[in-house]
Amino acid sequence: MVLQWLRAFLSNGFFRPGHSALKRFKGATIKDTTLMSIDLELTSLDASKAEITSFGWVCGRNSNIALESSAYSVVKTKATLGQSPVIHGLTQDNISKGAMIEDVLHKFIKQLPDRVLVIHNATLDLAVLDAVFKRLNLPAQEVFYIDTLQLALYQLKKEHEVVPRNSATLGACLQRAGLPEAPQHNALEDAMAALLLCYAQLAALGLTPQSCLADLSHTLALGRKTLGERKD
Amino acid sequence: MTVVAQQVADFVTASAPFDTLDIDSLTNLLSSAELLYVTQENLNTLIGPQIGQSRRVYLIQSGQFSVSVGQESQRYVSEGDYFGFQSVLDERDYSLSVTVENPGLIYSFEAGAFKALLSHQSIAGFFHGLRHDVLQNQAITDSKSMWLYKPLNEVTEKQPISADGNTSIQQAAQLMTDNRVSSLLITQAGQLVGIVTDRDLRSRVVAAGIALSNPVSSVMTPSPAHVANNLTLFDAMALMTEKNIHHLPILDKESHEPVGMVTASDIVRHQRGSVLFIIGELSKADSLYALTRLAWQIPHYFSAHAKHAGDYDIAGKVLSQATDIMTRKLIGFFQKEHGKADMMFSWLVYGSQAREDQTMGSDQDNALLLAEPPTKAQAAYFAAMADYVCKGLGMCGIKLCSGNIMASNPELRLSLTQAVKQAQQWVNAPTKDAIMHFNIFLDVRCAAGDVGLFKSLQRQRMPLLKQSLFLAALSRHANEVSVPLSLFQKFTYEKGGKQKDTIDLKVRAVALINNIARIYALASGVTAPGTLARLSLLPDNSELSTKDAANLRDIWIFLNRLRWRHQLQNNVADNSISVSSLSSIEKHQLKASFQAIERAQKAIVMNFSGGMA
Repeated sequence: MVLQWLRAFLSNGFFRPGHSALKRFKGATIKDTTLMSIDLELTSLDASKAEITSFGWVCGRNSNIALESSAYSVVKTKATLGQSPVIHGLTQDNISKGAMIEDVLHKFIKQLPDRVLVIHNATLDLAVLDAVFKRLNLPAQEVFYIDTLQLALYQLKKEHEVVPRNSATLGACLQRAGLPEAPQHNALEDAMAALLLCYAQLAALGLTPQSCLADLSHTLALGRKTLGERKD
Repeated sequence: MTVVAQQVADFVTASAPFDTLDIDSLTNLLSSAELLYVTQENLNTLIGPQIGQSRRVYLIQSGQFSVSVGQESQRYVSEGDYFGFQSVLDERDYSLSVTVENPGLIYSFEAGAFKALLSHQSIAGFFHGLRHDVLQNQAITDSKSMWLYKPLNEVTEKQPISADGNTSIQQAAQLMTDNRVSSLLITQAGQLVGIVTDRDLRSRVVAAGIALSNPVSSVMTPSPAHVANNLTLFDAMALMTEKNIHHLPILDKESHEPVGMVTASDIVRHQRGSVLFIIGELSKADSLYALTRLAWQIPHYFSAHAKHAGDYDIAGKVLSQATDIMTRKLIGFFQKEHGKADMMFSWLVYGSQAREDQTMGSDQDNALLLAEPPTKAQAAYFAAMADYVCKGLGMCGIKLCSGNIMASNPELRLSLTQAVKQAQQWVNAPTKDAIMHFNIFLDVRCAAGDVGLFKSLQRQRMPLLKQSLFLAALSRHANEVSVPLSLFQKFTYEKGGKQKDTIDLKVRAVALINNIARIYALASGVTAPGTLARLSLLPDNSELSTKDAANLRDIWIFLNRLRWRHQLQNNVADNSISVSSLSSIEKHQLKASFQAIERAQKAIVMNFSGGMA
């Protein structure tokens, strides 16, 4: 375990010595790590243009989801919805009745300390969050995350030379893990599904409640990102 | 405010008994709930007293587990099953040991939130039933049988005719004539104060020579008997019989304003809408043509009028009685043409007709029992009669028996001595094939002809069929077919069916209870052929306890309801029920029923076969 941890420790390109938050993040046991699964519904898949139309999250620890931590907000936006309402079912009408993005992000930031995010395809969602943080000039936040898409790809690559098309979508991953399908595309449903998927993936990788997150390093699914502009 | 994810709400609201909860109670339950992904590795950190949580109730969404609580033996559980509720119900810590056979999702409900729900009768009843392994038989105890249990507001069509008490007698009579009614309600400020009937006008007005200008209130019956509109036609009928009246006002339950009237002729009219009516009509048929024409109405009558569970409970009996009547009619028609038989005979019926649990798909199983070995002429007479009756039944829609268990088969026209000898042979060599063949003959009833002759056969056969080696063979045979549950207590489905999730309730469940009841009945010398009758007639010293007999009875009724509903709703004659067509509570009940049948099968082997299946 120590050796594995050390290997991960050294192999990780973005690791900067002395960064205690990262060390804590990777060294904590799964039993003691609170995961916060988030999902955003967006107006576009282009992170530079995309606006958030809804934001859902749910928290859990050690293969347990506290249902009362479920949160879901529809966000007020003026951006055009394009084709995406077909996917997530939000129309201009209910979006104009939504919450201000600042208020939603404020709640999100309050939850962040000591939490590790779980995201299916972290790159897109985090890029959008980063852009919004910068646009709103919010104080920078460093987040640690597990990308369930990367975990899925890690497993798929072990089984296939070429990863089959569409085999790493959230729906396909849930099905392979024998988990219930998430109804429609909704930020809370997908966040919850991603958290369940994450639990199943950790179990499939042989991690126990006593394992630490560093044991996942070789999968390339662990990440760290700073949202917003650092002022210092 | 808590948001509840749709996937959580969808699953929990589809799980009995929570499907009966209102949204507030449900939200309350879910806000303190947890959803666990349970594997063998993390099990001990999630479930059990060692994790320092208060007691919790668990509901499995996916995966397979084995659970044992306290002293109970291990149970295999999967989707939709609960565990841990015993500790919460009793407020005692029982040891809980769980093994993960297949990882999956488990909902964990907090004890306080769960207990708050026990004020709902449906929830408390469900968990009480679950722990005692009894079928949720509330529905069964609630509704007796009956067609007459229709609420009055379903059966009253017309508005009542009413008049004020100051109206003159003549005006009142005019009003009744105009509206062609035989009674008039007298009201004051919308409330019922009296009633006047044709008979009152005759006896209190005409016969007494009262002036027609007098107010109608002077001749009315004040404060008449009445009935609330949420009661049933049966209640109304009972009250009318008790008070010896022909007109009964119906009042709104809340406002007490008159909303209708039940008359004796209404009741006669409604009886027409009952399958019992067809029995009366069948008895009046005076030709083969009239009989077949009426018989073909039976499925129509059933599908039009059997709507409630109670209807299904008597449907099998009604259908069997109808078949009996057809048989007697046909024998009568034959005798009218060919003269009476010059020897005593009994027309025996077997299987479902004997047990009175016929369904639409049941075919005819019958035989003739003759007092003496017949002469050539007698044999020819009975052959012709049997042929006529069996074909006639076929024309009436009671299918010919594919296995040729019909009186038209010469092997099934035995004399009394031959029949007793045959039973002796069964008992001497109860091989598997032999039992398969004669099992059906063990449920027998005399539907026509001489009952005394049949009784003497039963008397002579009873001691033979009680012999322990014979019962042991029957018990082993009764275990050949198992209930459709997997090791993990999941439903297993018929292969090769049109739908993927069907279970043949007749073969895989009802027949098993029939077998069980038959063996206990034979052992105790109970000659009644019906399964419910057998279960209720078992003596106190029977190996089957009264409680188990009552439970088997409830299960049998429940299963029959399901198959009748299936046949009538889908207009089919098979017994292949699609599990997905059942409600959540029915699925639970069905599983509990199968488990109880399985236990009863095991008990049979213990009791009669020395534990050897």
